[in-house]
Amino acid sequence: MKVVRADKLSLLKKIFFVDLIKGLLLTFGYQRPSRNYTEQYPKVRPKVAERYRGAPRLNNDPADGSTLCIACNLCALACPEYCIEVGWDRSDEGKKVLTTFTFDISRCMFCGLCEDACPTPCLELTQDFELALYGRRDMKWDRQKLEQGHQPVIYTR
Amino acid sequence: MDFFVDYILEPGVKIGVIVLVLPLLVGYLVLMERKFIAFMQVRLGPMRVGPHGLLQPIADALKLMLKEDIVPRGADRLIFIMAPVVALVPAFIVLSVIPFGPSITVPVPEALAWPPQFVEREVPLFITDLNIGVLFILAVSSIGVLGIILAGWASNSKYPLLGALRSAAQMVSYEVALGFSIIGVLLLAGSLSLVDIVNAQAGDGHWFVLYQPVAFVIFWICGVAETNRAPFDLPEAESELVAGFHTEYSGFRWSLFFLAEYAAMIVVASLMVTLFFGGWLAPFGLTLLPQSLAGIEGAFWFSAKLLFFIYSYIWFRASWPRYRYDQLMSVGWKVLLPIAIANVVLTAILVLFLEG
Repeated sequence: MKVVRADKLSLLKKIFFVDLIKGLLLTFGYQRPSRNYTEQYPKVRPKVAERYRGAPRLNNDPADGSTLCIACNLCALACPEYCIEVGWDRSDEGKKVLTTFTFDISRCMFCGLCEDACPTPCLELTQDFELALYGRRDMKWDRQKLEQGHQPVIYTR
Repeated sequence: MDFFVDYILEPGVKIGVIVLVLPLLVGYLVLMERKFIAFMQVRLGPMRVGPHGLLQPIADALKLMLKEDIVPRGADRLIFIMAPVVALVPAFIVLSVIPFGPSITVPVPEALAWPPQFVEREVPLFITDLNIGVLFILAVSSIGVLGIILAGWASNSKYPLLGALRSAAQMVSYEVALGFSIIGVLLLAGSLSLVDIVNAQAGDGHWFVLYQPVAFVIFWICGVAETNRAPFDLPEAESELVAGFHTEYSGFRWSLFFLAEYAAMIVVASLMVTLFFGGWLAPFGLTLLPQSLAGIEGAFWFSAKLLFFIYSYIWFRASWPRYRYDQLMSVGWKVLLPIAIANVVLTAILVLFLEG
């Protein structure tokens, strides 16, 4: 190890508190409001990344409000945790029609494979991140809840 | 009637104002400290109670008053209860000789007549002008140490006792260098009265900080150490130890210690302003208000200077790491004390030759 010897300059530095004053100036500069890092979270909501994967949602056709899901079951097959269950019926023309859709967010790891597998713009992992709930039973989301989308309580200033 | 106004009414009102205002001031001092430390740590500090946390001190005071009052089973009950008062009272008493400003004129009812006849009355902005003011302050503020020792001993617990010993040792040993740094100023002013010291600094460029820079730096350092604040806060270093001498205290009694500590901060800062920065005198002969309002302007300048030094305490706390205990003692005895004595000797020689 290199030993740093005290020379005359460092004695002068000590007498005039040079290093201490440097420290003071550093902390003084941090007081600028623009440097502030705190988020006032429930009052001011943070902006999450554009590709953030949060609460799932089943999108409806904005034109007529009917579901965009074609009950192809690809999402359920893609899911590594098997947390999606799709229920369907046959219509008179023999077309698959969605009846139930269950999404268990307690098992979901938000990998987004279901979203990728979906051939229509129906299943989407939204940017909602407030997924705390009171019990496990609340974590199995049915079709109605999924189509409505997650609605967290919004606090305002 | 004159006796009543001079010796009972006027001091009574002033004492009442100080006793009422000081706890409030301390509360907002704590808020100021929390806020500025938060800013220096890139945080926001208290924001929830009132706009920007402005009502936080009131919420804190309410919380402390409502908390359970615990006296440990093995504690010496009487001394345990007495100790916070012993620590608090000197800090309040000392404020009685600190001049916050020159005189203001106030209308006072002349006699107990109806309708009251008002008379213009000169009211100085200090409770009393003792001719031994500085000596009085040093003597009375030393009693505060006694409160700390009593608290540590009466708690009947190891941590408070050790903390109290360390606090007391630190306060006593830094008081020596503090006293010597004041002597330089006293030699220049030729008086122990704080009002005389301020008046001796009147005129352009006569603040004693210009004549006594070394004494000022020593006083500043010792003042921080005297009040047990960072970087000398090791008796109650909250990141390393349990709380020090007030470990066993809770609720209102604890807040009395807290009040004493912050009142001591205000006292040391105002002493610094009075001794070295011309008290209520305006810097560079600046006068903002007409002569009739000189008292208010003086009080303004005094508080502005006071705030700067209190801010400096907070600034130090946010910036510098804590001393080790042996370093603390060796700095106090081996560095500050010899420099302070040398400063006194030098000042005495210079005063003798230049003025004599």
